[in-house]
Amino acid sequence: MDIFKEIRQILVELLDVDEKEITTDTYLVRDLCAESIDFLELAVSLNNRFAIEINDDDLFLRNLRLYIQNIPDSQDRLAGLTGRFPFLSTKRIAEILADLDQGPVLKVKDLIAYIEWQTKSKKAA
Amino acid sequence: MSNRVVITGMGIISALGHCPETILRSFKNDQVCFRRSRHDPEIVISPVCGFDVKAYTGRFKNLRYLNPGFQFALAAAVAAVENAGIDKACLDLAGLFAGVGPNLDLEKELVAIKNGQLDDSALNALWMLRFLPNTGASAISQVLGIHGENLTIATACSASLQAIGQAYRKIKHGYLDVAMAGGGDSRLSSGGILAYRKAQALCMVNGTPDTASRPFDESRNGFVPGEGGAFFVLENIAHARQRGAHIYAEICGYSATMDGYAMTAPRPDGKFARLAIQNVLREANILPEQIDYVSAHGTGTQLNDQVEADVIADVFGGRTPYVIGLKSWIGHVSAACGAVELGLNLVLLGNELLPAIRNLKHPCRSDVAFVNKTMAFAAEHVLIENFGFGGQNAALVIRKWKS
Repeated sequence: MDIFKEIRQILVELLDVDEKEITTDTYLVRDLCAESIDFLELAVSLNNRFAIEINDDDLFLRNLRLYIQNIPDSQDRLAGLTGRFPFLSTKRIAEILADLDQGPVLKVKDLIAYIEWQTKSKKAA
Repeated sequence: MSNRVVITGMGIISALGHCPETILRSFKNDQVCFRRSRHDPEIVISPVCGFDVKAYTGRFKNLRYLNPGFQFALAAAVAAVENAGIDKACLDLAGLFAGVGPNLDLEKELVAIKNGQLDDSALNALWMLRFLPNTGASAISQVLGIHGENLTIATACSASLQAIGQAYRKIKHGYLDVAMAGGGDSRLSSGGILAYRKAQALCMVNGTPDTASRPFDESRNGFVPGEGGAFFVLENIAHARQRGAHIYAEICGYSATMDGYAMTAPRPDGKFARLAIQNVLREANILPEQIDYVSAHGTGTQLNDQVEADVIADVFGGRTPYVIGLKSWIGHVSAACGAVELGLNLVLLGNELLPAIRNLKHPCRSDVAFVNKTMAFAAEHVLIENFGFGGQNAALVIRKWKS
């Protein structure tokens, strides 16, 4: 199963966009103009397609900025976020931290990471 | 305050075609689209062929929430704006009045139920939008940028004629300068067919599908479900003239009444259907003899057609105007029938054509001037009638525009 291709197909159908517009580095909000109603649909579709538990807040990095704000000055932001979003690599979190001022950071590859991580947890259980 | 109201744009998606030229050709060549339903081979339907909503909207993600009726309405509204050649700026505060029907596509929409538990895994998060009546209007407003006073009207088979009537009134009384009005509907899904078959409202014939829809004929035995949509741009005449708009017709009057008699059957004496017609003639300020032809509701059910024929004979006395029955050409477009039939009438008026009531061999009344042969005919005033389940009665009078 190619998770990227599966997610791309879901996004093509939901957002009425061209397959060519979607890579793993595509931003959902900045590039594909996804809105809150689209995230509701996306969560339902991913849950249905991959048969995994989906926590919308985690999957869509919903409270990311709030977590960052609440990390005490004494603690490293990178370390703080790694604990909170265990499905993202340290490299990706560093990338996100550097990208915050440019707008919503969620990318297709974050969805892939979440699905892979959840699938693995499910198997382990 | 009383303004004259004119129609300056139309978009029609019908079984006879998707543009005035094709529709006219279909009338002239007796080209109809009746066939047996794949859900129920005993039932004849009149589907719209070759329709793709994206040809009108381009990419639009919210199409995922539009049932077929909403899609027809949206496409027709886009086509009407293009046909009217009206600026986006004029639409900004325009009104929007839509006649809609229920989504009866149970097979596609409903989830499996096991031991009282719903299996909702295949449903969209916002699946309910395909059932909410104003979803179609919301989509039209998003695509066309319309933000003014609006209503979604769900009064069964008179819904879209009432939507057009409401838009007319808002402009007439000065609340709006421009309004979009019309509707879209489809009941050709398995659930739609099942609903009207159980109600014993549908035509059951063994012969060729073309002969199924036969309004006002002695042998009629039910309606043939159709689908489609039509929308119109209505304007205050001063607004239309100022922008040099092409004017198709003027709306001269509108009326609606309710039978208060039964859930589906019309009141046998037609008292309030007759009142609707008398009221619309009064608002239009014309005498019955000034109506050149009547575009009848003419469903092809025993009860509707008998009461309607009686009412026409009564209102117009011994010599009725010509009477046509467009459902013999496109079937019954349910909530959208008034809009689609208005659209077809505008095509007919503009081209001075009066189409035969197809399959009419033995008229149910001999003193009503049913048109049984397509003919050239220059009309000025047309009375359009629609009646619906629940005892809904609506009537509209239009006048051909002569520059």
